Amino acid sequence: MRISRLTIENFRSIKALDLDLNETTVLIGPNNAGKTAILDAIRIVLTRRWGQRGTGFAEYDVHLADENADPKAPPGVSIEIRVEEQAAGEWPDALQQDLDEIVQTDPTTGKTFIILRASCAWNEAEGNFEPSWIFLNAGRAPLVGGSARRMNLERFWQYLPVFYLGALRDVDDEFSPRSQFWGRLLKAMEIPSALETKVQRVLDLLNRKLLQADPRLGQIAGTLSGATRVAARDRDGGVDLRLVPLKSWDLLSKAEIILRNEPDWPWLPLQRHGQGVQSLSVIFLFQAFVEHLLTELYEADSAPVLALEEPETHLHPQAARTLWSHINALPGQKIITTHSPYFVQHVPFRDLRLVRLTDNGTEVCSLPSSFSARIPHVADLDAVIAGSGGTMEYDRAAELLTVHGKLEQAPYRALLACYGTHADRAVIHGVLRDLHDRALLYISDDELRSLETFARRIRGEIFFARRWFIVEGQAEYLLVHAMARELGYDLDEHGVAVIDAQNNGNPAIFAALARALSIPWLAVFDGDGAGQGYCRSIEVRDFPPAFVAAHCRTHVADDIEAQMIADGLEVELRAALTQAGVAAATTADAAALLDLLRHHKTGYAAALVDMMRGNAALAGRMPQAFRDSIADLRGLT
Amino acid sequence: MIDNPLETALAKLTEIQRQAVGWGEGAMLALAGPGSGKTQVLTCRIARLLDEGRDQSFRVLALTFTNKAADEMKERVANFVPGLEERANIGTFHSFCGQVLRQHGIHLGIKPDFAIYSQDDDRKAVLEDALKRADMGADGMRYLGLIDRMKTLLIEPKDVVSRLTRAADAQAIAQAYEAYESELRRLNVLDFNSLIFEAFRLFSTFPAIAARYRRSYPYWLLDEFQDTNDGQYRLIRTMAGNDFKNVFAVADDDQIIYQWNGASFRQIQRFRADFQPELIQLPTNYRCPPAIVAAANRLVAYNVQRTETKKPLVAGKTDLKLPEQDHIQLRVFETDEIEAEEIAEEIAARGRDQWSQTTVLARTRASLEKMLKAFQAAQVPAVIAQRRDDFLSAEIRWMVACLVQTVRPLDRRNLAVLIDAFNRFADIQIAVGQVLSDAEASGSGYFSTWITAATGEIGASSPHARLLETAGRLDPASAKSVIDTMLTELDARASGDDPDPDLVEDLAAWREISSDIRRHFGSIISLDEFLQQLQLRSKAPSPQAHTVTLMTVHGAKGREFDFVYLIGLAEDILPSFQSRQKGDNSPEMEEERRNCFVAITRAKESLILSRANSYRGWTKQPSRFLVEMGLATPNS
Repeated sequence: MRISRLTIENFRSIKALDLDLNETTVLIGPNNAGKTAILDAIRIVLTRRWGQRGTGFAEYDVHLADENADPKAPPGVSIEIRVEEQAAGEWPDALQQDLDEIVQTDPTTGKTFIILRASCAWNEAEGNFEPSWIFLNAGRAPLVGGSARRMNLERFWQYLPVFYLGALRDVDDEFSPRSQFWGRLLKAMEIPSALETKVQRVLDLLNRKLLQADPRLGQIAGTLSGATRVAARDRDGGVDLRLVPLKSWDLLSKAEIILRNEPDWPWLPLQRHGQGVQSLSVIFLFQAFVEHLLTELYEADSAPVLALEEPETHLHPQAARTLWSHINALPGQKIITTHSPYFVQHVPFRDLRLVRLTDNGTEVCSLPSSFSARIPHVADLDAVIAGSGGTMEYDRAAELLTVHGKLEQAPYRALLACYGTHADRAVIHGVLRDLHDRALLYISDDELRSLETFARRIRGEIFFARRWFIVEGQAEYLLVHAMARELGYDLDEHGVAVIDAQNNGNPAIFAALARALSIPWLAVFDGDGAGQGYCRSIEVRDFPPAFVAAHCRTHVADDIEAQMIADGLEVELRAALTQAGVAAATTADAAALLDLLRHHKTGYAAALVDMMRGNAALAGRMPQAFRDSIADLRGLT
Repeated sequence: MIDNPLETALAKLTEIQRQAVGWGEGAMLALAGPGSGKTQVLTCRIARLLDEGRDQSFRVLALTFTNKAADEMKERVANFVPGLEERANIGTFHSFCGQVLRQHGIHLGIKPDFAIYSQDDDRKAVLEDALKRADMGADGMRYLGLIDRMKTLLIEPKDVVSRLTRAADAQAIAQAYEAYESELRRLNVLDFNSLIFEAFRLFSTFPAIAARYRRSYPYWLLDEFQDTNDGQYRLIRTMAGNDFKNVFAVADDDQIIYQWNGASFRQIQRFRADFQPELIQLPTNYRCPPAIVAAANRLVAYNVQRTETKKPLVAGKTDLKLPEQDHIQLRVFETDEIEAEEIAEEIAARGRDQWSQTTVLARTRASLEKMLKAFQAAQVPAVIAQRRDDFLSAEIRWMVACLVQTVRPLDRRNLAVLIDAFNRFADIQIAVGQVLSDAEASGSGYFSTWITAATGEIGASSPHARLLETAGRLDPASAKSVIDTMLTELDARASGDDPDPDLVEDLAAWREISSDIRRHFGSIISLDEFLQQLQLRSKAPSPQAHTVTLMTVHGAKGREFDFVYLIGLAEDILPSFQSRQKGDNSPEMEEERRNCFVAITRAKESLILSRANSYRGWTKQPSRFLVEMGLATPNS
């Protein structure tokens, strides 16, 4: 059982958000973009802590459109989760029977699902924010009667317990006897009563021996017993000095983790190890908890939901990189926030969610494989769906049309035709147009797979970038960084990722990726056939020609080397080659020089980068396509 | 040793009962005669299944025909397996279908918060509006009965014309039906017949939803299966699909007395054909003295339409309070007037302590009215027991309407009921249309607009001001305390010098129903759920102490009394004139015989049969059933 969809309205920085969640979902985005709000929304819908007087929901949790907005004005906060089977019959019978009163069945797919909505609005009569939880039917209307009984909510929560590990994981807290995992694990340990009695005897004996070891201990006890006399009770109490734990639980509760990094190093308590190890150990503590205690505390078919913030905290890049596979293997559903490009490097593209704050509140971009829109049912629609060969689905109860992959022209026109005479034709056509446009963002599994292979090196960082600058090769990669710096626009500082597309797949995929993730981008290609070909390959992906013209520049000359020579940089280029150890560079004729440059791309580029340092004039003489693009990158949206 | 109610009950079962209770997988048809302890078998079976599946989550479904039967079963199951009763879904066919439709009806376009119209007035209003909306003449009103019939038979509006080949106005009927259905849908309302029909439609259109009920409820029990009509049977059949067989049906083919409602021996035959159930018989009668059992056996042997291998009843009652000659008696009177008077006198003479355990049964309501008059003359408190769809007093009708309005603030039909009821007892004239337009103009809710209007109308010194002010505080969360305040106010009115008897009765009924509902659904039941339950239940209170109950034979189904008087055992009365018209071997005549069978087997100690030589001035022969029972010799 896991959350497949999360819908949030009017919560903190979120105005309206629809988010698909996978087995593991990784949220990345700048600070204050709304990542924690998303995690909190999940925790709120799955727990009851919210809204209790003093501890829960406050006016600050209501999304405010502007500074004059009134948090008490309707409609208030709404958080909705849809928990759905991946395939019909996936959920065990026992679970389905137990949750019978709240489950819904998709009549076409046979899949079972549950929708729960938590909402919170100002209650004038009560004078506070009143939270409520209610299960919904397939049409997202509240279920009434027996389904609305509180018992069903408690029961549902038992099956989907949520756990939260914040970015600041304090080992002292997490391994305390009262902590959520460690404490409960210790309490669950079963000590045979025979052993317990024996322990008790040993403890008592030990205590006596210790007291006898120094007579002063006994005297101290005697002095302290004055306290009971002062308390003036009818009968004398007593004071004893206990030097060892009183009960076996006290002993157990003092249990602590000790570890050593190498076989012959000393054992040290966890608290004495580095922050990284401490932070990591808390995550593994969760795993131990789930494996040993979850079904005992919850139900046999319970599946945990883990809201995990920054698992990479304090970790070395190498460790952060391998962390993904450990986290992914954790039981249950994971929703993770991260700021680590190393961690992201191994996260599948479809699991990534880019969170950012816009004028419209928090927005999330991703690379979905399907796209949905709400449109009313008409009789003609059934035939179009039936004839789509499974690429389209329609959920009649929810009035939701889902397109898998791109919405091709023929079915798109057929859909439009269904509503040709509908009273709300204009509105519905608008919705379909929007669906069509969104489905253009589709990137196929094959392409994503090829990116997984080629672009692993850069994919960590590009998702954290604010803008992309797509160039052909590594020479360009090096040069544009240097140029931009000298031209007063440091690319790193401004969050611009330069993508040398040739080494990482092809430029068109990156353009499509950028569009899907709403990342502004520019590209500079060679003037030769290949360069023109890149522009065309981008156009083919449904980019309007004018857009391509504005975003993709090409050199006038065939390639960057020819362009630089044409730009009168021959002297500098010969020097750069020479510096790179190419002796022939000083004497080569024009044709031979070009040849040498093309054969020593990174060599001359690195030397040229050195020469550009502190030399804005030189940067200013570099190919115009680069300079113009760098100028455009400023403020590009 | 801790007293375990389930174990105690199981230990008391007879061998054959235990076999039924212990039945595992597969279909079973238990033929259970009257007084054979079938409720005990059903409840023990439910409890046993739950008890043995303590560590599992499956639920058990049990369907009955009356809320009373469902309530009793729930109570027993809760007593047997405390804490597990929540996994037993025990209810009437209608309430179960209501649940199904609230949870899954959206696939047919039915919203979860639909209202249920059970009263004819409501349904007439719906048809009236529907006809207007469809620009059809008001003469379509006469089709309401036909529409009901179509819905009971699960016939869709589009199939009406092909099904009613002999009706000249089939087209018009179909249109009226269609309009009625779409008006119901528009109002977000279902009537009683819709509940079964729509649930059937849901399961047959979307087998995945039927499958979900089979998964959650691996065991089904059907009480009084012989009363199942065609629609109810097809509902069960569709819900079961082709492979599900775990249906445990308890039936008595000798107690089919709802033929007019579609109950038929055919349903039992279909069940046997479709589910291939194992047949088990519970012939032992623990209720009636042996003489009655013998008479019942003799009587029913004249019927053909019954299970061939059916065993005769066996007398199993051991503690008999009365001497043998008192077990069956026959009284003969000259006229029906004298019959009523003498029976009333006889019962009066029994003394008040026996009145509540005495019932007078008759074939028709008219005969009961005559009895009621006779009892009044004899100064014996008596009441005709019957289902009551609505409360009698304007006050309680108004209170219920207020509650409904808080749950469905936009329900105009209910608003009309609310305003009308209050107008009546407060003696004011507030027009529904005025409240509606005021509400729309001011943008406030219907209910609060009406409160304001009514408060202004009655004036501050009115005796109804307190009631109105209390109603103004209504919201779903505060309903319980507001109702309590209202009831206190109404109690005061009902305890005055000249109380309105309707209000007195309604208050008693309200207390009874609400405590029943709370007992079976918990005290934290939501207002909405409470109102749904209220809607489904009869609004008649139980008879007071020392009151004789008068019932039609149909109403007596499932009941038992120490002293049973069955009057009118004459040809044309029981059996009825209509059944005699159909012929001596007609199914109708067989049903009359079953009516007689059901009636006499209600008696725990004594059965007094009576007849008169003339009814309404016409000479009538003794009932053939008297002859068949061996209590009279054939008249020459």
